[in-house]
Amino acid sequence: MKKSYKLLLFFFLVSGYISYAQEPVNPVAVTDSTKKDSLNYYDMTIEQLLSLKAHGVPSELEKLINSLISVASKKPLNVRESPSIVTLVTAEEIKNSGARDLIDVLRLVPGVDFGVDVQGVVGIGMRGNWAHEGKVLILLDGQEMNEILFATTQFGNHFPIDQIKKIEIIRGPGSAIYGGYAEYGVINIITKQGGDINGVSVSGIYGQTEKDFMRRNINLSAGKKIGDFEWSVSGMMGQGQRSDQNYTDIYGSSYTMIGNSALNPAYANVGASYKGLSFRAIGDFYKTTTQDGYDAIYPKPYAQNFNSTYFELKYLWKVSKKLTITPKLNYKNQSPWKTPQGDSIDQTYLKTATRSTANITASYNPTRKINVVFGSEYYKDMAVDHLAGDTFYNGKQTVSFYNYAFFAQGLLKTRFVNIILGARYDKHNVYGDAFVPRVGLTKKYNKFHFKALYSNSFRAPAIENINLSGANGIHPEKTQVLELELGYQLTHNSIFTINFFDITTKNPIIYYSIGAGTDAYTNQGNTGTRGFEAEYKVKDTWGYIAINYSYYTAAGKDKSAAYSVVQDPSMMLGFASSKVNLNASIKLTENLSINPSGTFYGPRWGYNSVDTGGYAQLSKFNSVFLFNLFLKYNTPVKGLSIGFGVYDIFNEKFVFIQPYAQPGSLTNLPHAPLPGPPREFIFRLSYDLNFKAKTTK
Amino acid sequence: MIKPKKISFGAKLLLLFLFINGISTKCVAQDVDYKAYTLFVYNFMKYVEWPEAQSKGDFVVCVFGESPVHKELTGLASSKKLKGRNIIIKTITKPEEAAGCQLLYVSASKSGNIKALKDQMAGKPILIVGEREGLAKKGAQLSFVTMDDDELKFDINKKEIEQHQLKISSQLIALGILVN
Repeated sequence: MKKSYKLLLFFFLVSGYISYAQEPVNPVAVTDSTKKDSLNYYDMTIEQLLSLKAHGVPSELEKLINSLISVASKKPLNVRESPSIVTLVTAEEIKNSGARDLIDVLRLVPGVDFGVDVQGVVGIGMRGNWAHEGKVLILLDGQEMNEILFATTQFGNHFPIDQIKKIEIIRGPGSAIYGGYAEYGVINIITKQGGDINGVSVSGIYGQTEKDFMRRNINLSAGKKIGDFEWSVSGMMGQGQRSDQNYTDIYGSSYTMIGNSALNPAYANVGASYKGLSFRAIGDFYKTTTQDGYDAIYPKPYAQNFNSTYFELKYLWKVSKKLTITPKLNYKNQSPWKTPQGDSIDQTYLKTATRSTANITASYNPTRKINVVFGSEYYKDMAVDHLAGDTFYNGKQTVSFYNYAFFAQGLLKTRFVNIILGARYDKHNVYGDAFVPRVGLTKKYNKFHFKALYSNSFRAPAIENINLSGANGIHPEKTQVLELELGYQLTHNSIFTINFFDITTKNPIIYYSIGAGTDAYTNQGNTGTRGFEAEYKVKDTWGYIAINYSYYTAAGKDKSAAYSVVQDPSMMLGFASSKVNLNASIKLTENLSINPSGTFYGPRWGYNSVDTGGYAQLSKFNSVFLFNLFLKYNTPVKGLSIGFGVYDIFNEKFVFIQPYAQPGSLTNLPHAPLPGPPREFIFRLSYDLNFKAKTTK
Repeated sequence: MIKPKKISFGAKLLLLFLFINGISTKCVAQDVDYKAYTLFVYNFMKYVEWPEAQSKGDFVVCVFGESPVHKELTGLASSKKLKGRNIIIKTITKPEEAAGCQLLYVSASKSGNIKALKDQMAGKPILIVGEREGLAKKGAQLSFVTMDDDELKFDINKKEIEQHQLKISSQLIALGILVN
C-alpha cells in the first residue's frame, strides 16, 4: 500500500474517533458544571476557594497547559510562559500509548529523532541535527545520564518508562542553565517518588515479532511518604533485542540480529528525603551485544556494556520565604562501551570514568514578579584505561580534568511581558572557556501566548574528544539559536502552537579517521538547520488527540560535509525533514481505552553501499509510516490493568540511519542503516497495590 | 525509486487540521471566570467584620467602572443574602459616589484611580477590593492575583484593613497573601 494512502486511511480513522468522541461533550457542562446551580456554587466552603482558577473550572487540557514546569528556568512556570520551546509528557500519556521504551515516547515529540551511531548503538537527534554525542542532556531524577567519555546516551529498551512520572523536554538550547551537554536540548525525566507510588507497583511487558521475542521486562517500585519523610525503591530488569531482521553492512555482508543484538537493561533507583535533605542512588547496567564492526560486520557477536552508578546528596535550605539555597554533591562512575578483552576482534574497550560535582544554587524572589537564580559549579573528571599497554594522550593510563562554572538568571514578570536574562560561564582546564548568554520574552494573554528566545549554547568536549583531538586540540562548539513560538487556545479543550527556529553551530566537533583504526576528533566547519514545529492538541474527559508536524531545512546553512547530503542541500544526513506524529487516547468505556499513535517520516538520506571505487554511496530512503495501536483495560481487580497492542502495524521496518559520515574517505566508511524492530505485538500488565486507599485512574 | 506524490504532504496536514478544528471549535476557550471572582467577593463579605453601625440594613456593593463582575454580582445578590441582609449592587462612575458603600470593587479599567480612592476613603469603614493585581500595595485592602498555574488568589493589605476600622478573619488571611 502506498504511504500516502496509508496516511489518509489513518487520518480518517482518527477523524472518526474525534467525531465519536466529541459527540457526548456538553461544552456548558465541561466549562463549569457548578454554574447550573448557583446556590450550590455560592455555598462552597471557604477552603474550597483554594481550588478556584481564574479562568473557571479547568478542562483537562487547561490542567495540562497550566501545569508548572521548571526545566527551562529553574523557577516553576506554566508551560505557555516557560522560556524555552517545551514539551511535557505525562505518565498517563506514556501508559496509554503502550510505549515500549523511551524511543517510542520521544519519537512522538516534535523535532526529536533517532539514528545509529556505531556498534549497534542508537542515539538522539534534534531538529535535523545529530545530537548523540553530548548535544542533548538526558536527566533522570536530576542525574546526568550522558556518559562522560564520549557524552553519549544509548536508546533502545534501556530506561524504565513504567516508572516515569513526567518528562519535561526542552527542544532547544539549555546550556545557559545546564552547561555543555545541553547544546540542542534537555530531556528531564522525573520518576515516581514515594508519595506518587504510595505502595507497591509491579509491571511487565512482553513483545513478540513474527520471528522472535523483542523484549521481556519487569518493573518493581515501592515507596511512601510519611510526614516529612519520603522513600522510594524501584528497579527494572529485562531482555530485549534491537531487531529480528538481518543487518547488512555497506559491502553487502549480513548477519541475523536474532540473538546478536541484545538490549538487556538492569536498573535500580533508590531515593529518600527528609524535609529539605535528599539522597539518591541510581545503578544503570545496560548490557548489549552486536556483531557490527565499523564499516564491515564481524564474524561473531561481542558484548558491549554501559555501566553507570550515580549518587546525589542535596539540601534545599529555605533561608527565608524569599531565599532558597541548594548545595548539591554528585558523583558518578561509568564504564561505557565496555567490551571485554578477547570478546571482540579489535573492539576491546575497558575504560572507567568518574565525575565528582559540587554545585550551589540560590533562588531569590524579592517580589512575586522577580526571580533571580545564581550559583556556581565545580566538577572533576577522572578516567582510567584498564587495557594493558593502552594510554591516554598524556602517555598515562589515567587522565583527569576539572571545570568550574558560574551561572545567573533573572526573571521579571510584568503585565505585558515576562523577561528572562541568563548566562553561564564555564572554564575547563584543557579546552578553555565558554560563555553562553540568553534572553527570552514570553507572555500569555488569555488564549494567546508567545515566546521569543535568543540563546547561545555550547557542547563541552568529552574526555575522549580531548584524548583523540591530536595536536590541534579541541574546543567547545558554539551554537546560536533563535526561536519564536506562537500559541492560541482555540477552544476550551484544544490548543494550537507553532514555533520557528534557526540553529547555527560553529566549529562542531567532528569525528574522522586519518587511517585505518586511527580515530580523531576536531572542530570543523559549521552546521545548523532552520524550520518550524506545529502542534494541535485536544484533550478532554473522553481522552486526547495530539498531532504535530516538524520540519527542518538545511538549505542556505553553511554545513560541514560530515552532515551534508550532496544531492539535496536542504537535507541533513539520516533525518527526515518532515515528520508527523499522532498520539491519541479514546476512552471507549470507563475502563477501556483505545490508543492509536504513529509517526510518518518523510524521505531520508543515508549511506548503505559502496561503489566500485570503494567509496560509500548515498541513497534516498522512502518515507515510512509507523502506526501503532494499543488497547488498555483496567480490570475489575483494583489496581490491575492489562494492555495489548501492535507496534508498526504496517510492518514498515524502520531503520536507523547514521547521521554523519566522512565523505571521500576510504578508511572511515559509514555504518549501513541499522534495522529497528518490525511489527511487534506487545502485552502489558501492571498492578498497583496501595498502602492506603487512593484514587486511581 | 520514489514515486511522485499526488497530494502534497503539507496539504494533507492542513486538511486534517481544518477538519479537526472545524469539529472542535463549537466549544469556546475559557475567558476570565468572573463567577469565581464573585465567589471570592462573597466570602470577603462573610469573613470581614464591619463596625457595628455598618452591620445593619442592606449591604451595598459598589462596582467602580465597567467590569463583567457586575453581572455576576447581580446574580449573586438575587439569590443570596448576607447574614439575613439584602445585597445591593451599584455601579458608580466617580469616586465621590462611593459614600454609602460597604464594599467598593475597583474594576481593572479604574485601577489608575486607586490612590485617589485611598485618600478619599481614608479611615472610612469600606472594603476596597482591586480587580487588578498589585492594587493591595497601592491602597486597596484586597486585590486579586492569578498565579502561574492559573489559581486565583488575593493579596491582603492588613494595615489598610485596620485603618478602615475593619477586621479580617484568620480563615481569610490563611487563604490570601499578606503584602505587609
